[in-house]
Amino acid sequence: MSAETLQVLADVGKGKSTRGVLRVIILALIAGASIASRLFSVIRFESIIHEFDPWFNFRATKYLVANGFYNFWDWFDDRTWHPLGRVTGGTLYPGLMVTSGAIWHALRALTIPVDIRNVCVLLAPAFSGLTAVAAYLLTNEMTTYNSAGLLAALFMGIAPGYISRSVAGSYDNEAIAIFLLVFTFYLWIKALKQGSMLWGALCALFYGYMVASWGGYAFITCLLPLHAFVLILMGRYSTRLYVSYTTWYALGTLASMQIPFVGFLPVKTSEHMPALGIFGFLQLLAFLDYVRSAIPSRQFQTFLWLFAGGIFVMSLAALVVATSAGVIAPWSGRFYSLWDTGYAKIHIPIIASVSEHQPTAWPAFFFDLNLLIFVFPVGVYLCFQELADEHVFIIVYAVFGSYFAGVMVRLMLTLTPVVCVAGAIAISTILNNYLVAKTPTEEDQQAAEAAEKKGSKSGLKSATKPVVGIYGLWSKSLMVAGMAVYLLIFVMHCTWVTSNAYSSPSVVLASRMPDGSQHIIDDYREAYQWLRQNTKEDAKIMSWWDYGYQIGGMADRPTLVDNNTWNNTHIATVGKAMSSREEVSYPIMRQHEVDYVLVVFGGLLGYSGDDINKFLWMVRIAEGIWPDEVSERAFFTPRGEYRVDGEATETMKNSLMYKMSYYNFNNLFPPGQAVDRMRQARLPEVGPSLSTLEEAFTSENWIIRIYKVKDLDNVGRDHISATAFEKGLKKKKTTKKRGPRVLRVD
Amino acid sequence: MLRSTSPLLSLFAFLLVWGAALVSAVSTTGNRLLAVFDDVGEKENYSKFLGDLEGRGFQISYETPKSESLALFHLGERAYDHVIFFPTKTKGLGPNLTPQILVNFLNANGNILHTLSSTTTTPNTLISLLAELDITLPTERTGLVVDHFSYDTLSAAETHDVLALPPPVPVRNDISPLFSADAPAGQLLAFPHGVGAVLGPREQLTPILRAPKTAYSYNPKEQSEVLEANELFAAGQQLSLVTAFQAINSARFVLLGSAEMLQDKWFLAEVAAPGGKSVKTFNREFAKRVSAWAFQELGVLRVNWIEHHLNEVSAVNESNPHIYRVKNDVTYTISLSEYAYDKWTSFSLPANDVLQLEFSMLSPFHRLPLSLDKAHSSPEASAYTASFKLPDQHGIFNFKVNYKRPFFTNIEEKNTVSVRHMAHDEWPRSFVISGAWPWIAGIGATVSGWVVFVALWMYSAPTDKKVGSKKTN
Repeated sequence: MSAETLQVLADVGKGKSTRGVLRVIILALIAGASIASRLFSVIRFESIIHEFDPWFNFRATKYLVANGFYNFWDWFDDRTWHPLGRVTGGTLYPGLMVTSGAIWHALRALTIPVDIRNVCVLLAPAFSGLTAVAAYLLTNEMTTYNSAGLLAALFMGIAPGYISRSVAGSYDNEAIAIFLLVFTFYLWIKALKQGSMLWGALCALFYGYMVASWGGYAFITCLLPLHAFVLILMGRYSTRLYVSYTTWYALGTLASMQIPFVGFLPVKTSEHMPALGIFGFLQLLAFLDYVRSAIPSRQFQTFLWLFAGGIFVMSLAALVVATSAGVIAPWSGRFYSLWDTGYAKIHIPIIASVSEHQPTAWPAFFFDLNLLIFVFPVGVYLCFQELADEHVFIIVYAVFGSYFAGVMVRLMLTLTPVVCVAGAIAISTILNNYLVAKTPTEEDQQAAEAAEKKGSKSGLKSATKPVVGIYGLWSKSLMVAGMAVYLLIFVMHCTWVTSNAYSSPSVVLASRMPDGSQHIIDDYREAYQWLRQNTKEDAKIMSWWDYGYQIGGMADRPTLVDNNTWNNTHIATVGKAMSSREEVSYPIMRQHEVDYVLVVFGGLLGYSGDDINKFLWMVRIAEGIWPDEVSERAFFTPRGEYRVDGEATETMKNSLMYKMSYYNFNNLFPPGQAVDRMRQARLPEVGPSLSTLEEAFTSENWIIRIYKVKDLDNVGRDHISATAFEKGLKKKKTTKKRGPRVLRVD
Repeated sequence: MLRSTSPLLSLFAFLLVWGAALVSAVSTTGNRLLAVFDDVGEKENYSKFLGDLEGRGFQISYETPKSESLALFHLGERAYDHVIFFPTKTKGLGPNLTPQILVNFLNANGNILHTLSSTTTTPNTLISLLAELDITLPTERTGLVVDHFSYDTLSAAETHDVLALPPPVPVRNDISPLFSADAPAGQLLAFPHGVGAVLGPREQLTPILRAPKTAYSYNPKEQSEVLEANELFAAGQQLSLVTAFQAINSARFVLLGSAEMLQDKWFLAEVAAPGGKSVKTFNREFAKRVSAWAFQELGVLRVNWIEHHLNEVSAVNESNPHIYRVKNDVTYTISLSEYAYDKWTSFSLPANDVLQLEFSMLSPFHRLPLSLDKAHSSPEASAYTASFKLPDQHGIFNFKVNYKRPFFTNIEEKNTVSVRHMAHDEWPRSFVISGAWPWIAGIGATVSGWVVFVALWMYSAPTDKKVGSKKTN
């Protein structure tokens, strides 16, 4: 390569327009990379919807595409929550389904026939590309370095904290909500900086979209007023703030109230009160500001400020009174558990039973954010250094995002964008300091010294700025190389985490054979397919709520409870049926017209996510409603152990869940050798017997077991004696009963 | 209108029924009858009874329990539709007639008429079958019912073991009097050498004929001299002489305490109650009715069709829709027929009884009486109907008719419908609601005020600069 071509290449990076083109190319590549890194699951397994909630979203999308928007809006779903049904159209966030429906229709209009499933599977990766761009835009508002924006886009694109919820197939609300979150913040900063009504209105529009998409919109609803409040306290009230905030609040609240599921919540619940309060407070401040500009009296001014503070305190008190009087709904249980992590466990077991509501373990931060978690504080510190209005936003967001991420695992998702932005600011600042090839010349130095001498005469020494810097080529290249290595490690870590931890569909399990080849365990789909093909179309399936959406989506059968845990009593009913004796459970199942019961059993394979491990939650939730009939204590041995072997308590052994899990399990082993591989427990020699249920199906690895609920006995006996009679056992003679005769009354 | 069956299937069923009707008038479930005797020669004693059955179209096969070819099931299907057990002396009935097989026979819609006699002990097999049905016989597997006040003075003046009873009246006044209807006054039923049974509280059991209040049961072999009070098996109306059992699938089982009452001699005999004059027995007619009930010729109900529809003016008013809306007005109609020996007739409710419709989700939201709908009734079928407003609760509901009465086929019909919530465009518009008018006026005022303000702002000329500077000064 000649020196000339080198020169041309070096010049390419200098022109302004070439830089613009480069930025666009780089952004496009980043978006491409973020999409590509999310396709592991499609390549490894297949184009399949993952986990639990996505199955409902998928089913709802199919309904939307098949029946049109208005039918979807008024959808009464009679195949869930049997026999209550669910007013689905009014109890979901329609943004996700409508987005994929629109994409599907658009593609068809372009004569690209696509299966709606593929749209759903690939929606999350596609939106992650957009999220990267939104992160670029947001970061560019914070700093003048364009490199920071690009870095932020890259981080956002591949940070595992975000990938965890947006791999291909993870068709959940978060798939589009994180993009909307970041983009709404970008628009908010833009509106605030320019004091522009247009940007404020755009912000409200995207806020409305966010409300339509995810319950996490409350994060924006609380963060924006908080930002405004902090700015006011810092004495930075301005007409820019007034215009942007009021525009956003008025239009955004109206937009959010159009969603049936949200409805009047923005004026009724405590979660939305900060936004309303700040809105009112800003009106007051605007008024006072006007008065202040009209009447230039210093004392009057302080009086006015006191007045404003007084009004603020008084309205706060009014809010408290209104809440306690019941006019405004108090904070919901999920919000309480944000402040007290032990709250849910005691008061609302249904919330605590969800694994993603657990407090975050510390290693998770490193796992999900790697390098970024170290540079994140640096970025926040750099924001303090400049501290314009937008930097205050990053600081406020950082503080609250960190707190919430520490309280609840799933909120790591809302922390990730600010970590990416702050981390990008920090790393770009470092790189910008070290990558500058220019060393100060002698003249510069002299000029600087001269300036120093001048300065020392006039002012304090500390106020002067000596020319200090790292000019050695070695130190520069060492630092830059170090950073590059870190960034490379970050990319490798992200790829590794994505590939190993977040790309499993969880519907299909993968394991390794001894020779290293992959072995697919497909019990879930096997069982759901069995249900689809062998049961009546309206056969009601009772299972723990975790599997409700999957049964609805894959087996297309009505379920009693599902992952939309809106009715605690109904879930507790199922919990009671599972944790009680057969004689108690059978009438419950008859009343709810249950045809089949499905349990997940991991004892043969050593699969940890099975129902026996979740069983205590069923007991707890049932105990919450029927404390006299179900008692958690009775499932523990006197020494306080939760056992399934021979020393399990009688309550445990007689519970329907235990019986269904271990029914016929002994027959797999030589006598007395039955071992539960999950809990490493040796089971009693005689297995449990069932009389009101009969085994209908057990999957290949025994992960799913399905039981059919027997009809009432034809001649009117109870099931236990009917089963005994079938086995040929002699009936005990009851004619020699002591005591008075029992007479029949006709 | 008919419940959902494929057209081909219903055509096939129709041909089958039509073909069966051609052969002879017969039971609704089939005409293959198995009679089990200890010794087939005994059937001569019952020639009139069996002849009556053959006359009604039954094809009777005679077998003994010892016969190796005897099998109630062939390749998993019932080989017979009905079975009569006459008293047998054997201790058990052998491997072809275990209690399990007999219960399975009932479960497969087979019917059993079982007769007892005080002169033979009942086989263990049947005792265990009876135990499953909650019927108890005396511990020695036999007993004798005597009554010193209503015995037959002609044949048992000394022993008092032939009861002379009036035709049975139903135990409750809302039960159809199937077995005594149209009986001439003063008729007597001879119940010779019979065994009484004690019934448990199970609701499937109903006594057809109860012993008089003065009757009691004892064991002539062991208790011929003294009957101690605490060894008494049962007495009075607790003793059921003829018992009906109807399983959930409407398979019928009848326990007839005296086989002898079916014999020719008691069909022809004359009996006289103490102090009464002698009359011809009612036994032949009673035997006909009891066997007809047991073999599904009497008291058989059929649901012809069920129909429900929206009772409102609407563009689409289809039959049996799967979904309704809360607070819809709906009409439900059910058509029922009753079978009497050889033909389907319209079903009329017994006096003092009502047919009820439940509209239920977990528990009933409505429980309404169904009234006769003459417009949809015919001599072969009667329709019952009810109209009501659906509750203001969405969910998956059942129209449920649960009509289970003694001596009638169990009717449990469940038609599931979904009741949806109001759609977004089904509410009244805001301008129809008078309470909304102030708010609408408020919106109007705000909008027009804003327009006026903007107009003023736009068209008012900017103030003069001089005036402006004066002001600031």
